[in-house]
Amino acid sequence: MPMHIGEKDFKKRVTKGIQDDFMRGAVRSAQERLQNRRAAAAEELGDWEEWRTLGQQIRSHTVEHLDYYLHQLSEKVAELGGHVFFAETGEEANEYIKQVVQEKNAKKIAKSKSMVTEEISMNEALEGIGCEVIETDLGEYILQIDDHDPPSHIVAPALHKNKEQIRDVFKERLDYLKTEKPEELALFAREKLREEFLTADIGITGCNFAVAESGSFALVTNEGNARMVTALPKTQITVMGMERIVPGWEELDIVVSLLTRAAVGQKLTSYITALTGPKQIDEADGPEEFHLVIVDNGRSKILGTEFQEALHCIRCAACINVCPVYRHVGGHAYGSIYPGPIGAVLSPLLSDYDEYKELPYASSLCGACTEVCPVKIPLHEQLIMHRRKIVEDEKKSTLAERIAMRGFEQIVHSANLYRTATRMAPFLTTPFAKNNVITKGPGPIRNWTDTRDLPRPTKERFRDWFKNREKQGGAV
Amino acid sequence: MIGNIQKGALKVKVSFFITCLGDIFYANAGKAAVELLERLGCEVEFPDAQTCCGQPAYNSGYHKETLEAAKHMIEVFEQSEYVVGISGSCVYMLHEYVHLFKDGSNWQKRAIALKEKTYEFSQFIVEILGIEDVGASYQAVATYHTSCHMTRLLGVKEAPFKLLENVKGLKMVDLPYRHDCCGFGGTFSVKMANISEQMVDEKISHIEETEANLLLGADGSCLMNIGGRITRQGKPVEVKHIAEILNSRGDE
Amino acid sequence: MKGKIINRERFLTNVSSKIGGLTPEKSIEKPEWTVNPQHNVLKDFTQDQLVDVLKEQCQHIHTDFFQTTSDRLKDTLNDVLAQYATKSFIYSADERFQTYHLDDFFQSSVNEKRAIMEWDPEDRETSVSFAEKADAGITFSDMTLAESGTIVLFNGKGQGRSVSLLPRDYIAIVPKSTIVPRMTQATQYIHELVKTGKNIASCVNFITGPSNSADIEMNLVVGVHGPIQAAYIIVEDK
Ligand code: SF4
Repeated sequence: MPMHIGEKDFKKRVTKGIQDDFMRGAVRSAQERLQNRRAAAAEELGDWEEWRTLGQQIRSHTVEHLDYYLHQLSEKVAELGGHVFFAETGEEANEYIKQVVQEKNAKKIAKSKSMVTEEISMNEALEGIGCEVIETDLGEYILQIDDHDPPSHIVAPALHKNKEQIRDVFKERLDYLKTEKPEELALFAREKLREEFLTADIGITGCNFAVAESGSFALVTNEGNARMVTALPKTQITVMGMERIVPGWEELDIVVSLLTRAAVGQKLTSYITALTGPKQIDEADGPEEFHLVIVDNGRSKILGTEFQEALHCIRCAACINVCPVYRHVGGHAYGSIYPGPIGAVLSPLLSDYDEYKELPYASSLCGACTEVCPVKIPLHEQLIMHRRKIVEDEKKSTLAERIAMRGFEQIVHSANLYRTATRMAPFLTTPFAKNNVITKGPGPIRNWTDTRDLPRPTKERFRDWFKNREKQGGAV
Repeated sequence: MIGNIQKGALKVKVSFFITCLGDIFYANAGKAAVELLERLGCEVEFPDAQTCCGQPAYNSGYHKETLEAAKHMIEVFEQSEYVVGISGSCVYMLHEYVHLFKDGSNWQKRAIALKEKTYEFSQFIVEILGIEDVGASYQAVATYHTSCHMTRLLGVKEAPFKLLENVKGLKMVDLPYRHDCCGFGGTFSVKMANISEQMVDEKISHIEETEANLLLGADGSCLMNIGGRITRQGKPVEVKHIAEILNSRGDE
Repeated sequence: MKGKIINRERFLTNVSSKIGGLTPEKSIEKPEWTVNPQHNVLKDFTQDQLVDVLKEQCQHIHTDFFQTTSDRLKDTLNDVLAQYATKSFIYSADERFQTYHLDDFFQSSVNEKRAIMEWDPEDRETSVSFAEKADAGITFSDMTLAESGTIVLFNGKGQGRSVSLLPRDYIAIVPKSTIVPRMTQATQYIHELVKTGKNIASCVNFITGPSNSADIEMNLVVGVHGPIQAAYIIVEDK
């Protein structure tokens, strides 16, 4: 699955989202639960702001010295006998992974959840050489069974589906006979997937955080699938976005604590599994062979720019869970596997403005995202920076808007022009006014008045009132 | 003595910042705010050269254009002792000027000076004048819409509630999900009109749940958005700026 | 044998050029972070207070909590197995089972016709397939985090990864002295090992209760791929 998902046209995707009542119901209740749990977990600490500050410092230090830490990481992994492949593009990564798979003559691959492998369409690449790739995260599994329905959320990929829909998918595809009770659905998936774990030739995982000082990496899960994937198959491949790294274990503590609280309101998730190299000689379980694939795929374009902070993201989805735009349009409307505020910031950077030029505008700049981000990424400000780039560097705004803004500049700069313009307002709008409101506006106001009234400008502006009052002797 | 202000002592000089929407659409809110500030012992002036804070251009990515607005406003209020505005998000924009100029530049210094003396109306009354009861009375069951920019960015969370609590006759009802945005977002409301519509409708449904007959706010743009949708739908909820209530003495 | 590193130079040269042209080999000092809130959590709590925190936390993570003395440990274990209707279990190859005199317990389990097995690092096949079918897996905790209710296992050799993962239920024996306030103490311990050039376990597992998922409508379902039930037995140290 590539980064881009669904219908090409942004407006159509949005309309589809808004009309999907099932999805919106599911998203609304999920958001509410996740928001409450995150808020409770943050509050409980008492000094959440300090934790965020520390998280921000760790992430910005690491990204500022990314070359150093990646070098250290790769040295350590190799010392332990693991292999490291640096992939500048998704294709390079896929080629390497295919090569490993073919060398092992592997047919069945069990995979735990990973956004970066979605981003580079790894599954398709492997299926292309005849492999069976099995998603083992419950949410991902549901989507895979449902004809590869794209994920709509970075932590809970099937969040747009309700339990009845999931039951139907299982029924149709897997002859599931039980009810829509989540317990029964989960138990069914457990039984189905158990066999796959035991017989998979290769396990592929993503990476929540690599630890540079020891060449380790941590997987944060609740279901235990990542543990299965890393305990049972003989060969393991881990794919990481190049920025998913911390200097040492002490920093791992902080980012993991922030992640689990911000993502799901848990102090820690059920399993944090920190793996260091392939299994040791005297061990029975664990992989005999280990490959780490470090992926750039557009990330280095972001380094050194005003968007560098976007690389601090720890993929907790807290920003998505509070976003009102996401609530109403759903994840698929973003057209990217990275939806919500972080998706609106990241997608145009990893891809380009041609593909994602609308996303920076799909925000009311309410700042809810910025307020919750556990590593203090100023998300709404990054969206404004995108808009600035689109306007000033890319010159991609409409001519009408540019003319309007130039006019705006003239007017606000000059007190006289401004006074004239505001004095004209009541007269200019009179033809459109009904009672005390304007119900059908001209030009760009039209979009507003399609759904809302516009108040009619008062005959006496505030400034006229003030001046007259001063003339008449002023204040009481 | 009321709050920090001693009767008969030197008056606090306030330069009033009306904002474009206030000037054109909500003159009544501006009038009420001025009258109240005067009642509370301030000397209010209105620098007539003031224009727009530049926020529409800034948020749309037109930063060169914003710079011109910023410079103009910095000059207009250069001599002011305090600048008090009646719209949280516009006041925040005045604070934001600091980031428009080069670090350490002269313009940035002037922007910092402006930021340090600029307050939102309710914030000014509570934090600077030190008054929580302005002696108002008004009969209504009301709920209050928190503006995102005023609470999250400007950081004014409590002041309006403190003032409203003390209005005689006014019964305040909590607005559920009050932290949710009303869907205005400047050009967002016209560029992404259908999403904005969903957001404002959700907001109105929460307002209706309170069964209040009056919606209050301290941000002109949110009020224009919610109010415009309420009148379009013919809902029986009145929309007012808090200044109008705080200046009311039960005789209107 | 050292593993291969492929494509590194080109990749890192590009990265370096974007962030100010550092040479990746040049050592970087971590800055002093301005705040360190992690050290304040449960600071100065006594061991007994930490037990209380752990006990309370168990309620939030769907984990049964038991507390016992070293003498009574075998009885408590028997009670838990009876409660869970355990007919078979696997346990890690850990000296502490002897230290706590659990031979009696194993014997009584056999008498009660439970199928039991000690994890055998030499025989992967048998161990894994036994674990996969076992009702319960039993391990000692290597370190225990009070705040989150977490068992830390330094997996390797006798402490097989699968023991706490494949069986239906997971039972952790927690010597009271292994309890520390939070993850901070565990990661600090590992950091010290790394700093002094010592090996760390190939797999460190932080286990917090049974496995679960909220992927279906955000409803928490306990027991997905890993264990469905979990019990912690806190025991006074031997
Ligand atoms: S941007 Fe911040 S809040 Fe959003 S997913 Fe990333 S870390 Fe979480």
